Amino acid sequence: MLRFDRVFRDGGGFDTLLVMLALGYLVVFSAFPLIYNVVMSFQEVDLFSLASFDRPFVGWDNYSEVMGERVFTPIFWNTVQFVGLSVFFQLTIGFGLALFFQQDFPGATWLRGLFLAGWILPGLVVGAVWGWILAGDFGVLNYVLQSLGLIEGKIFWLSDPSVSLYSGIIANIWLGIPFNMILLSVGLAAIPADVYEAAELDGASRLHRFLTITLPLMRAQLGAVISLGVIFTLQQFDLFAALTRGGPSNASNVLQYWAWQLSFEEYRIGQGSVVSVLMILFVVIVAFVYVRSTRNEHAG
Amino acid sequence: MIIQRLLTSAAFAVAAVPALAETVTIDLWTIDRPGEYHYVMAEEFMKANPDIIVNVRSVQFEDMVNDLARAVSTGDAPDVTYIDNPEVALFASRGLLLDMKPMIDKSSVIKPDQIYPGPLASVTYEGGIYGIPRGANTIALYYNADMYKAAGLDPDNPPKTWDELYAAAKALTKPEENIYGLAFSAVGTEEGTFQFLPWLQMAGGDFNNVNTPGAVTALNLWKQFIDEGLASPDTLIRGQWDSTGTFNAGSAAMSISGPWELPRMSEEAKFDYRVALLPAPSADAPRASALGEGDNVILANTDQPEAAFKFVEYMYSQMPRVWNEFGYMPAYPVDVADPKHAAAYAVFVESMKYARNRGPHAEWPKISKAVQDAIQSTLTGQAPAEQALADAQAKIDGVLGQ
Repeated sequence: MLRFDRVFRDGGGFDTLLVMLALGYLVVFSAFPLIYNVVMSFQEVDLFSLASFDRPFVGWDNYSEVMGERVFTPIFWNTVQFVGLSVFFQLTIGFGLALFFQQDFPGATWLRGLFLAGWILPGLVVGAVWGWILAGDFGVLNYVLQSLGLIEGKIFWLSDPSVSLYSGIIANIWLGIPFNMILLSVGLAAIPADVYEAAELDGASRLHRFLTITLPLMRAQLGAVISLGVIFTLQQFDLFAALTRGGPSNASNVLQYWAWQLSFEEYRIGQGSVVSVLMILFVVIVAFVYVRSTRNEHAG
Repeated sequence: MIIQRLLTSAAFAVAAVPALAETVTIDLWTIDRPGEYHYVMAEEFMKANPDIIVNVRSVQFEDMVNDLARAVSTGDAPDVTYIDNPEVALFASRGLLLDMKPMIDKSSVIKPDQIYPGPLASVTYEGGIYGIPRGANTIALYYNADMYKAAGLDPDNPPKTWDELYAAAKALTKPEENIYGLAFSAVGTEEGTFQFLPWLQMAGGDFNNVNTPGAVTALNLWKQFIDEGLASPDTLIRGQWDSTGTFNAGSAAMSISGPWELPRMSEEAKFDYRVALLPAPSADAPRASALGEGDNVILANTDQPEAAFKFVEYMYSQMPRVWNEFGYMPAYPVDVADPKHAAAYAVFVESMKYARNRGPHAEWPKISKAVQDAIQSTLTGQAPAEQALADAQAKIDGVLGQ
């Protein structure tokens, strides 16, 4: 007993306990659901066999069924576009704004803080607001564009299958910019001012300073922001629920929303799990990049 | 396993306590909020039966199926609950609902042959009766009589056939004033199926036979409404409530929806609105209409079947009140003294006679999804109606063949 007590106080016991706590949390709340999801993707699951493990295994049937769906390919490419375009524009616009607010002008920090207002709004609310903006017949955006003489007829942002995905992307970009900007602002603030001063004395132009000082020193933050951006974008569910429900005719459907539709609208929970597993694989790759980029940060 | 057994025995222990005190407790789940139907019913029933306590719990409409399935598998399901009518077969087929037929046969209150055929079919599964409709609803054609007059149409003679509906929609559409001829919903959810199924049924098809010439005609007519600008393209992503909102605002001259619109319409619509039966393919074609609203069901593993059935009986007996107090159509013919929205009520009562069930089938959500996909891919121009319906038929055959 005494020995245990000593180990606990002075030795590695306490460290082990802390590690076990964190590990236990991860096992219960992350690893278990992940594994459960993978198991379900190989089983025939419906709503009424959710609680028991005793379900028929069907091998790769669920996988071939999901991949064989005619909508699989379009939904996959929609997801690629959704993630790619969202992250690209969130990053470039967010980075641009971060650089802008790095300038010293009155109210810069206040204005930067205001940008966060958009980010703290729940996705459903953002979806509802964008729904009003993008509505076809009486939407704000159509009204503005028509008043400016930019378009003649109305654009049915949400119900025209050739544009509905991009409406979702636009709303998601708006939603992600503040987060990108704040994280990148923090990174920018950490770059010592004297580096820039020295470069300026040596005659480096603004563009030169950006390319040779800002970008290399921001590498870790950029990597982190891109990885988190990809993960958040793959999580984006509420926007679709509020804007288009993946429609019309799957034109704006993405994997994460489809997984939900399969599981909870059609009760094909095994197949829904397959889609989740595919997304997990992708997120694991992205998470790996994220971990690498933050590790470099410590090393550098 | 052990945990489950412990939980069950604990549940028995809890249930045993009120039995000793000679009062019985039944749990009721509902999609209502306090003050609405089930809360009122529970309160009145408890007053009349002091030995029975009804615990009411609200569940979101969209969550009902999921929550119920989870509750059944963890062993804490309610005794009585509300289920939307297409889902009765889903639960009944898995043996989760109590077959009330033996009790109904002895009942002096519930007489199944009174109930309209549509609502009765929705609770019947393989010869058993697994639920009692708490009411019903259906759809019909709302139209703006003022716009009819302005367009030179006769407001006392609303469209009776699909051709007349098309002609009226065309005459009423005024793009320069942002007015569409018709509002309806072709959204890719259960609501889309709800709206399309009567069209399919009037043209001779049904959920198990969607690839018919009549269905092709119906779907092409829907496409025409949208392609020619007689209905908003947003019809594809908008439910019935929002679509009828545009009618109330004067942006659509007609709207296909149900009686649940009337309270809002009587407040918002500043014009002479009227209701007509859903137009049919031709004057002599059989009529059909959608069937909505849900049922009071008893779970199979209830430990208080008598008390639960008594409560269901009580709710059934209150049918004459549902229209004026709660806004549902009665599920069997009753005399409603001084009905609200009398003219519209008369049309909906007539329409109830033609209301047909969705299914019933234990895999209804999958069938419904196939129908939604056919509607959406035709209306977006991704596939011609013939091909979209053939695809849907193939999927439905797959489900039915299981």
